[in-house]
Amino acid sequence: MSLSEQVTYRFGFFFARLRGLFVLVTLFFVWSAVSMKTGFFAGYSREELMTYVFGAHILRSLVFGSQSRRIASEIHDGTFSLFLVRPVNHFLFYYARELSERLLLGFFAVLEVGIIVVFFDSTFLFPSHLSVFFFVFLSVFLSHMLYYCMSYGMSMLAFWSREAMGPRFLFEWILEFLSGAFFPVSIVATNVALVFLFFALPFIYLVFMPLTIYLERVPGNQLFLSFVWQGMWIAIVAGLLRALWRRGLRAYTGEGI
Amino acid sequence: MKYVRVWVQLVHCAFSSYASNRIDAGSYFLGKLIRFGFFWLFFISLFHYTDSFAGYTKWETLLFFVTFNLVDVLGQALFRGIYLFRNDIRKGNFDCILVKPLNSLFYILSRLTDILDILFLAPLGVALWYVVIHLPPLPAASFFLYALFLFVGLVIVLGIHILSAALTIWSMESEGMIWFYRDATAIGRFPPEIFSKPIQFVFTFCLPIIVMVAFPVKMMLGALPLFWAMMGCIIALVFLIGALVSWRVSVRRYSSASS
Repeated sequence: MSLSEQVTYRFGFFFARLRGLFVLVTLFFVWSAVSMKTGFFAGYSREELMTYVFGAHILRSLVFGSQSRRIASEIHDGTFSLFLVRPVNHFLFYYARELSERLLLGFFAVLEVGIIVVFFDSTFLFPSHLSVFFFVFLSVFLSHMLYYCMSYGMSMLAFWSREAMGPRFLFEWILEFLSGAFFPVSIVATNVALVFLFFALPFIYLVFMPLTIYLERVPGNQLFLSFVWQGMWIAIVAGLLRALWRRGLRAYTGEGI
Repeated sequence: MKYVRVWVQLVHCAFSSYASNRIDAGSYFLGKLIRFGFFWLFFISLFHYTDSFAGYTKWETLLFFVTFNLVDVLGQALFRGIYLFRNDIRKGNFDCILVKPLNSLFYILSRLTDILDILFLAPLGVALWYVVIHLPPLPAASFFLYALFLFVGLVIVLGIHILSAALTIWSMESEGMIWFYRDATAIGRFPPEIFSKPIQFVFTFCLPIIVMVAFPVKMMLGALPLFWAMMGCIIALVFLIGALVSWRVSVRRYSSASS
């Protein structure tokens, strides 16, 4: 359903991919410019920086979704009531829609990265050990689940307020930066307050951590710890989600249907 | 004068709309501030590791960033109404706009003034002042030329919005066009020299984002030859005229979806 929805408006879909490509090309040139002189920047080699940029483009498509945004408008216009009478778990229903959209967009993101790598004769590094792919896959899966839980939770605000889009906009911008989707957060986190801001919150586990694992910059003992932290954050957010759901249903009035 | 009165009334309506959704308005404004702050932090952090970026110093690079924000915010503040135009075409509301004793293009573009972006001009102004005082002393003429080319940039922004409106009449899927423009202007955050020559060409002559953002900065820094300054003005004028022509053609070919 989500797949067919995405490709129904092909022109719009093409423009959306073109937009992502613009951001990718811009970041490619930014990091090329800073690493041009010495071939290194902020402890990253040029190849690592390029791989990070390309990897972030793919991860943005695999992790950051948009299907759960509809939940707020469904709650406001009352169509959410239809889900309450169906024998369908709402969380899993939207997860299925999210997953199909992510897989489609992830596929196109990989294609786009391939085109850019070939067109600009750039480098995309591959890990030296096959086992790294397993750890990256696990980390990306946990990131995907963590983002979905957070996004779903943000939509739950609609139970209490008609003004759910503004907080969502704020949340998404904070997330974009703190997750490392634009740049490696280690470049920015240069003092105690910033280190706390970036590393004490769950956002770095969305993009920065999976990519750091891919670039084999996470020592073995910290690798296990990163999965523990990801799992812990998913558990915390899922717990909050459960509480929000229960309270939200009590507050829900189904107006508009 | 009629159009000024209409615009002022539309601004009042927009203000009422924002004032009645205070949580949304507050969150959007905070989001804009955070976005600006994080990019500022990013640029500051870049210069922990390097002395120059594409040949520009930290403050010159930040001037590109602040100028991009100025042009972007002014364009969004004044022409936000374009985002509603797709719905007007889809529902046939454009028919009602066409029969008003008012230029339809003016109404479409200006019916939603983004008060939040206008408020955001205040911190942007402070940021611009902060960047300028850290630059080497500049002649007074630099500031005049900077303001002049900001106006030229706004002309191009207007042209892009008009083009988007014209495309919306032809295709329901052209909402992507205005968002495409929003993401394409992201290149304006950085000095154009970091991009390859073909990309610089495309964004100077086809979608003149470099003229919009980089030319005002280069005029202020005295880094833009007279030939290119005049070229920038011509490009802006040609772009606007082309957009207006496409709008006229589109309106002539418009067929209502039923109102």
